[in-house]
Amino acid sequence: MISGFASAIYKKYEGSAFELMADVVSSALDMAKMKKEEIDGLFITYLPGVFDGLAYPHFFTNQVSQYLGIRPKFAEVSDYGGASALAMLYRAYKAIRANEAENVLCIIGGKGSEIRLRGVTVDSMDKLHSGISLTPFDKFFRGLDEMNPISDYALVANRHKKVFKSTDEQRALIAVKQRFNAMNNERALYRDPLTVEEVLKSPIISEPLHLLEAVYPVDGFHAFIVSKRQSQLRDLDVLAYGEAHWPEIPAELNDIVYTPAIESSKRANFNLSKVDAFQLYDSFTITVMLQVEDIGLIEKGKGGLFFEENDTSYKGNLPINTGGGSLNVGQPAYMSGGVILEEALLQLNYMAKGHQVNDVNVVFLNGIGGWNRSHSVTLVLGEKK
Amino acid sequence: MKLSEIYSKYEEVLSKGNIPYIRCEDCGYVFFYPRHLCPKCNSSKLEILVSTGRGKVYASTKVFRKNEVIGIYGIVELTEGFRVYCNFKSDVEIGDEVMMSSIKVGDKYKLLAEKVK
Ligand SMILES: [Zn+2]
Repeated sequence: MISGFASAIYKKYEGSAFELMADVVSSALDMAKMKKEEIDGLFITYLPGVFDGLAYPHFFTNQVSQYLGIRPKFAEVSDYGGASALAMLYRAYKAIRANEAENVLCIIGGKGSEIRLRGVTVDSMDKLHSGISLTPFDKFFRGLDEMNPISDYALVANRHKKVFKSTDEQRALIAVKQRFNAMNNERALYRDPLTVEEVLKSPIISEPLHLLEAVYPVDGFHAFIVSKRQSQLRDLDVLAYGEAHWPEIPAELNDIVYTPAIESSKRANFNLSKVDAFQLYDSFTITVMLQVEDIGLIEKGKGGLFFEENDTSYKGNLPINTGGGSLNVGQPAYMSGGVILEEALLQLNYMAKGHQVNDVNVVFLNGIGGWNRSHSVTLVLGEKK
Repeated sequence: MKLSEIYSKYEEVLSKGNIPYIRCEDCGYVFFYPRHLCPKCNSSKLEILVSTGRGKVYASTKVFRKNEVIGIYGIVELTEGFRVYCNFKSDVEIGDEVMMSSIKVGDKYKLLAEKVK
């Protein structure tokens, strides 16, 4: 079902986001041995500011198609932030199966540097551009001193510590274990060995979360071509899928320590003992801790213990974020979905040079999106049934 | 009630430093972030009330920029049963009792919580 994919990531790309996007699409087309005229469906995800620091709220899929020179039969924005990549892959897969398209292009990425260098985050775009509202309640919500998304995740980390007695060392251990997986991954920006002490000595951004527990926003794109066409890649299928959306402002959630991954994974309803590797969204260490609990790898509250007791390296009993995750590869355009999806495909195609898991037939992915963790998408990929 | 009426009542209460909230007369749900229909049961029978301002810290974090604290951000649960985002005036812990107030910042409102000694 996936006949080509490609990526390019830079700490800072000097050219335009459109240029980098088109180059990555070309590489994916090359792998699929496909001409761009054959693309007849388009999915893209987008956050204001990630295309060269500008906002493109006006017919964005049109602007992308104009630059690429394609005339798809349908073109849609997937608006789940970090969870978009997995959702668009599934939508593309459904479109192919329904004969609505032959070859669907999915694009995720942009430039994080443009926003990073202005000292704001993608979730405070209203401080950069006028006329942007982030909630229907901004008059009563946006007057605060915060640094979302990290400050909101910090609230969850602190509450998790209080309610479940998880520790800073346990979260740091997640960063350390992911770094081990990154050490031989040529795509990773960060490959030096890392210790728990070093994580805890790095500057605090929003307590209890440290700099080395957070992704670094970078410039880059991922492109995936979903198609019926046979290619050099393994013929994969969607073995399970589920999504869940909790739109609430977290102050109105019953309990902020749960994520919608608890529901999306339930909807996917896949036996975890059949999984060979997990790719779990890693915007922050706490995000990974919450997901191992919410997808059911361990009971709620014991995510820290889980990492103490299991070997999550690519050689381990429960491989998680086998390429080091976006904590080490970098987070293009404030969304890590492309990073985890690409790593799943590298593993399934035995292309994960230096960090290949043995005998990979099933990869379980979970994506999380939104400053308030609203969106969760669970996707299980494996050999065609 | 129109949303605009809710907004003007909210502004009236907030400008005096107090915390307004909405109670659904049908299902009893209480909430701060204004909607003209109950987000739980869709009822339009809503009343705007003024909170006592007393509550407890539900979650908090100290936010840093270049190793300097730029704010203490978090969520308070008011005694009436609803939760709001706010900034804290000083360091707090989960469960601490606080008193809430509000100030206007530009065209927006900031809710502030102060630890009750
Ligand atoms: Zn109601």
